[in-house]
Amino acid sequence: MYRKFLRLTKNLTVSLEKSLNLLTTQEHNPLYFHGALPLYTFWLLIFSGILLWMYYIPTLERAWSSVNYISALPTPGDPINLAGGIPYGAVIRGIHRWGAAAMMIVTLLHMLRVYFTDRHRSWRWLPWVSGVALLVVVLLVGLSGYLLVWDARAYYLVVASQHFLNAIPVLGGALASFLVGGEGITDYTLTRFLFFHVGTAVFIFWLVWMHFIRLKEPVVTPSRATNFLLIGFILVAAGTLPAINITHELLAKYGADPRIAAQAAYVASDAPAQIGTLVDTIRYDAWYMFPFWLIQNLGVGWAWIILGGATALLCVAPFYPKDRRANIAEVLEAKCTGCTFCSLDCPFEAITMVERAPGSKFKLIAVVQAARCSECGICVGACPFQAIELPELQSKTLEADLLALLKKGA
Amino acid sequence: MSDPAGPARTIIGFVCERSLPLEYMLDGHNALQDDPNTKIIVVPCSGMVKPTQLELALANGADATFVCGCAIGDCHYRTGNLMIRERLEGKRNPKLRKTTDRRKVGLFFVTMKDKAPFLEALAAFRASLNPPAEPVED
Repeated sequence: MYRKFLRLTKNLTVSLEKSLNLLTTQEHNPLYFHGALPLYTFWLLIFSGILLWMYYIPTLERAWSSVNYISALPTPGDPINLAGGIPYGAVIRGIHRWGAAAMMIVTLLHMLRVYFTDRHRSWRWLPWVSGVALLVVVLLVGLSGYLLVWDARAYYLVVASQHFLNAIPVLGGALASFLVGGEGITDYTLTRFLFFHVGTAVFIFWLVWMHFIRLKEPVVTPSRATNFLLIGFILVAAGTLPAINITHELLAKYGADPRIAAQAAYVASDAPAQIGTLVDTIRYDAWYMFPFWLIQNLGVGWAWIILGGATALLCVAPFYPKDRRANIAEVLEAKCTGCTFCSLDCPFEAITMVERAPGSKFKLIAVVQAARCSECGICVGACPFQAIELPELQSKTLEADLLALLKKGA
Repeated sequence: MSDPAGPARTIIGFVCERSLPLEYMLDGHNALQDDPNTKIIVVPCSGMVKPTQLELALANGADATFVCGCAIGDCHYRTGNLMIRERLEGKRNPKLRKTTDRRKVGLFFVTMKDKAPFLEALAAFRASLNPPAEPVED
């Protein structure tokens, strides 16, 4: 039943990609580089983030105003000067903001593509589970970014997060105060948020290493056309919808300007946070804030059940259904010369070269780690000495079949 | 699709079981329904094909051979199609022997929905064999 579902999704994905190929050609189809897209977007976020970091002041007094300085309201009548304090600051912030949305979109695209084509199971469990961890971390980094702005919404998110953490038995209270760096919200709180945002983003690199460690030559660069297209989308979004701080007062003052009025729908920040004054409801973005939507609408308990349950389901997904695993590659000890070709070509790093006993004819021997083997036979194709074979499809049999076919044809 | 200019040439194809929808394409004897002179050896991944096996087919009466793998970027095992391509192009060990007539070695990358484009490409490949490729002088 579940296998049938996976086969169906694979069929649908291939059909979709075939249609997309008509538009993009096979060479530039972004779905053939889906894994490289999140990493590529991540670089964009790092560079725009470094620029923003240079002007960000993580204190209660100055956080909102420093963000405002970066991305102030455009001067009416001046289409060039999009920023108040920093030239093109609003555009850089726009890149960071729309890049963050793109990050979640391409990450989910990557995940769904992998899942729908049944490329998440068995020997791929480590890339999948580390990918789930990456998804959670990307979500947390994105959310912590909303806190740095330190507007009314950020304060709401902090209070809601503390509720969420307080629901954990025993540790909850400690975690809630760990979140803000003490009993109450102080300057240390924003310093901590900045660390959560940037430090956790650095942690992404470690997770990406885990993600790649069992993949030979992971695809880290999309095709050039896809690169330009992705950057183009983000730049166009950032240029036409730069992230600017529009408050109600500013709207009242400049709202007559149609350009400003049009941008009111894309407000990046609310009014500055005021500790103790909690807004009733917040604007939810489409990609990062759904946990808070759950907390607000279903309560903390259900939010824990849904989020925790979804994460747990994702983590066990690669272990079900189990395959037969009868065709794991086997090395023929007598024939293996230790040439390393199979180990170099194995796409899942399943073959390691090990020293033979002293006095052996050859120095090294290939050893297959069964749990990592995908039964694909690429090592068989790599071996010039017929020294590694799939038990159920031996080269000898294959070649005998081949000669039989030719005889029949003659 | 038989060869009008002479005896039907036999082509041996090594096909990745995940690329073409082979269950709808083969007759009972591993030949293509649409081209009975093309015989198919099914492999789990195009990367499993050894260049020596193509040479073996050519040496034992096949007029041409080809390997068919998944679309580049879409190998189920990540790199199999890249591996066979590099081996046939002489960029990765083990390579196709230098003395092998490369005109007789085809390489196709298709998805499992690409039956028609594959048959077209195969017909073009077959047509390119006619007149028969000259033997390599050595």
